[in-house]
Amino acid sequence: MLVSWKWLNDYLQLDVSEAEFCDRVTMAGLNYDGSESVGDDRQLDLEVTSNRPDWLGHIGIAREASVLFDLDLQIPPAQVTATGPAISDYLSVTIADESFCPRYIARTIKGVTVGPSPQWLARRLDTLGISVINNVVDITNYVLMEIGQPLHAFDLAKIDGSGITVRQAHAGEKFMAIDHKTYDLELGDYVVADEVGAVAIAGVMGGADSEVTEATTDLLIEAAQFAALPVRTTSRRLKLKSDSSYRFERGVDPEMIDWASRRCCELILDMAGGELAEGSIYAGSQPQPRKSVTLRLGQLKRILGIEVPADEVERILSRLGNEIESVASQKITVIPPSWRRDLDREVDLVEEVARIHGYDKIPQDAAVKMSASHRSDADRVRSRVRSLMIAAGMNEAVTRSVVSSEWSAAFHGWSQSEALTVTIPMVRGEDCLRLSVLPSLLGARRMNEKFDNSPIELYEVAKVYLPRKDDLPDERYMVSMTSGRDFRGLKGVIETLVHSLNPTVRVTASRFSDSLLDVEQACELKVNGKTLGFLGLLSASAQKQFELQQPATVAELDLSVLEELTVLIPQHFDFSTYPVMTRDLNLVVDETLTWDQLEATVSASAGELLEKVEYREIFRDTQKDGAGKKRVLFTITLRAADRTLTGEEADAVRDNIVAACEKQLDAKLLG
Amino acid sequence: MSLNDFIRDLDTLVDSAVERFNEAVDKFDGDVLEAARVEFLGAKSGKLKSAQKGLGKVGKDDKPAAGKRFNEVKQRIEELFESAVAKLSQSSGGGPASEAFDVSLPGALLPVGHVHPITQTIEELKDIMGRLGFAAVEGPEIEDDWHNFEALNIPMEHPARDPLDNFYLHAGAKAAGGDMLLRSQTSTVQIRVMEETQPPIRIVSLGRVYRPDEIDATHYAMFHQIEGLMIDTDVTMADLKSVLHLFAKTYLGQDVEIRFRPSFFPFTEPSVEVDMRWNDTWLEFGGAGMVDPNVLRAVGYDPEVVTGFAFGLGVERLCMRRHGVNDIRHLYNNNVRFLSQF
Repeated sequence: MLVSWKWLNDYLQLDVSEAEFCDRVTMAGLNYDGSESVGDDRQLDLEVTSNRPDWLGHIGIAREASVLFDLDLQIPPAQVTATGPAISDYLSVTIADESFCPRYIARTIKGVTVGPSPQWLARRLDTLGISVINNVVDITNYVLMEIGQPLHAFDLAKIDGSGITVRQAHAGEKFMAIDHKTYDLELGDYVVADEVGAVAIAGVMGGADSEVTEATTDLLIEAAQFAALPVRTTSRRLKLKSDSSYRFERGVDPEMIDWASRRCCELILDMAGGELAEGSIYAGSQPQPRKSVTLRLGQLKRILGIEVPADEVERILSRLGNEIESVASQKITVIPPSWRRDLDREVDLVEEVARIHGYDKIPQDAAVKMSASHRSDADRVRSRVRSLMIAAGMNEAVTRSVVSSEWSAAFHGWSQSEALTVTIPMVRGEDCLRLSVLPSLLGARRMNEKFDNSPIELYEVAKVYLPRKDDLPDERYMVSMTSGRDFRGLKGVIETLVHSLNPTVRVTASRFSDSLLDVEQACELKVNGKTLGFLGLLSASAQKQFELQQPATVAELDLSVLEELTVLIPQHFDFSTYPVMTRDLNLVVDETLTWDQLEATVSASAGELLEKVEYREIFRDTQKDGAGKKRVLFTITLRAADRTLTGEEADAVRDNIVAACEKQLDAKLLG
Repeated sequence: MSLNDFIRDLDTLVDSAVERFNEAVDKFDGDVLEAARVEFLGAKSGKLKSAQKGLGKVGKDDKPAAGKRFNEVKQRIEELFESAVAKLSQSSGGGPASEAFDVSLPGALLPVGHVHPITQTIEELKDIMGRLGFAAVEGPEIEDDWHNFEALNIPMEHPARDPLDNFYLHAGAKAAGGDMLLRSQTSTVQIRVMEETQPPIRIVSLGRVYRPDEIDATHYAMFHQIEGLMIDTDVTMADLKSVLHLFAKTYLGQDVEIRFRPSFFPFTEPSVEVDMRWNDTWLEFGGAGMVDPNVLRAVGYDPEVVTGFAFGLGVERLCMRRHGVNDIRHLYNNNVRFLSQF
């Protein structure tokens, strides 16, 4: 809300500096946002919260200042003298839907001279950055900025017939507004119409046909109340925001509408002449009587934590325009002023007292009770995951949760469903709630490649949104990564991660197919039979789709599975201090035999002396071993808990392993 | 002789041996080396020989440990001698070694990653609030009208519910609590916690929130919030101010003044903006207030029995101010040169 310093002084004598004024109103809730000089006046920018439409006019702000600085407030009485025939002789107003328009006040003035506004008025509007049009239009804007009640002046001669109606627009109804653009109206929009058609979009903008011009002599002055929601819906859909719609969206003072109408007529008669018709038309119903609200003084201490003396409470509420209905011991009952529709509960009065009494009276060193708080297991696991990821040289990324449909369709490891979509794209072309974080990381990878950044090692801990029927989606945290390492390199990161969370858990891999990943170098990872996630080399087509120059690997792990397997508080166990014995084995096996299978057989047949099995290498010698065979080199490490092993014992374990592999896997020992 | 004394003597012996053998190498002098050899390893009166005599004086129980240590020291001194011999013989030309070891060559760096500054900020805020007794909780990012608006005292006609100001999901996507949307605030989590828990409650809810906005240097349609909630039978605005004061003090590392300015939020009454005084200016910290009775009623609490406060902070603003990030888009571009700075 832009405010003219001079204008404010029409209603009270501010004997404080602008800076002090701005400081005080800021501390009362009218946030000072800046100021500048316009001509010989000062323009202040005060931010008005949506609960205080009464501050959307100079009188409202002056009213607040009168409380803060304890000054008398002078509001013009807005008295007018009618000399013309009764308005009801030639005009009627019908409201089709009182829930949209509870009341509509019309006055008419005939024989005005439309021309330029006097200089003082033009300057006032100028200070607020409002265009100066002609005296009549300027006066409606002036009163709007004075009391916050929107007004509209129609050229009465352009109103067809004798009746105007506030009604819903017809489907397909067209309307040319003052801006000379034509708008297509819909059911649900509301218009003010004459017998022929709409003359205004109610509460939003008047029509070009009935606008007041130099040729206008007779006026219809509209002062009405329109409901917030339809005004907002219409003004947003048509992208027609006006000072009027802004105020109707926040609510006008139903008991000041007639004052605004009179004030407008008073100024027109004064500056443009003419003859005011006798009376006014008041369509709709009278405002409901305001209800009283009781404040129990004990609530102040209970909510604010400080005592406020009873006489101070009464003084504040009374100065704010509340009518004191009764004062009893420890409670006070008031009827809030007409402009404060936001005051209808006890707690609202608590806030008023606190606001004016001053929040600086509330101490910042109260003895808050101590309380234990436990860091959640999920948080602990995530923190350990992050530590491990950065130790692995990965940088944490944060990418948008909403992606394009191409990206959303790029990986389907977690869900085959179509992604959920939002009605407004987050950025152009991106409206899908992601099913995987990988495409976003690949997007980040491409951007980094473009900058020749190297290495590009990224991870993100973020959610995917898997659709569920008739319910909120299944939101799952993922640990996603993209790397320049090869398949085994990234698999090593994952295995290290899992091992660091629980050294006893084994990750198994099985072949997995998805268009994002290479046909061969792709797998589903499992722990204890549960899907942990997916890992693979980017397929050639995906590399192309994401415009990547270099090959890349990706992996995505379900954080909840990691959480479940994590040992948060590791336990000590005694370990053997006797030396280890190792044996290297070189087995010829079928090409299709996987390491997982081989290792399982080795582990099962080695017995309890086995400490670990380490993969070394794979060789192929088709001349010696024949086609479809490979040589797998690995090392077993043996240790006993209670003695130093002998070479013979180690050989016996090796022989057991070889026998089992020969029998179960058709393997053959070399060398 | 006690074991400790014996070991101390051995340590002194090693230190002086290192010094003497290094001197020989540095001077490149065979005579010095020979003198050092005799001094330490001499068969008759070398210092090692003398030390060995001390071994006999150690108590019986300490003998194995003392013997082990003596052998280590002996081995070490022999290594020093051999290494010195090798170095002197390497270049018989008399000058310094032909392959000089350059200790100033760069080390082999570890490729260490970096935690995103937003995560670091969130972790720090969570940590501080944790110390004040507030447990961190999370909730769904996709919410329904009930949790995002209704229960928070934001009625249908409130401008915050405008479909153009929210990421609603396409029609057909409906949950028990009405139309679904990407949550526009983390207060939704507070509702979920209160629905399931009885007071006292002390939580911080945090995470991603979403509001349609043109993306520029200061706006992003996705951002992070952290919100605190405390409910009990006797929570007041003085508690709110004091908790925020402790919070600000801890975060900034020194005392700081807290100021409340009146404001408006549908879910709190009274509502305030919180400023903190830093380097002689008031910085906006976030919004706060006493939980509105309508919110307490919506979750089944009796506002005559319990009171509470809530506050919310934008994580990005704190993070950007703390790290001097001048454009919010840096945070989400994921340029590794940016990420590596934190």
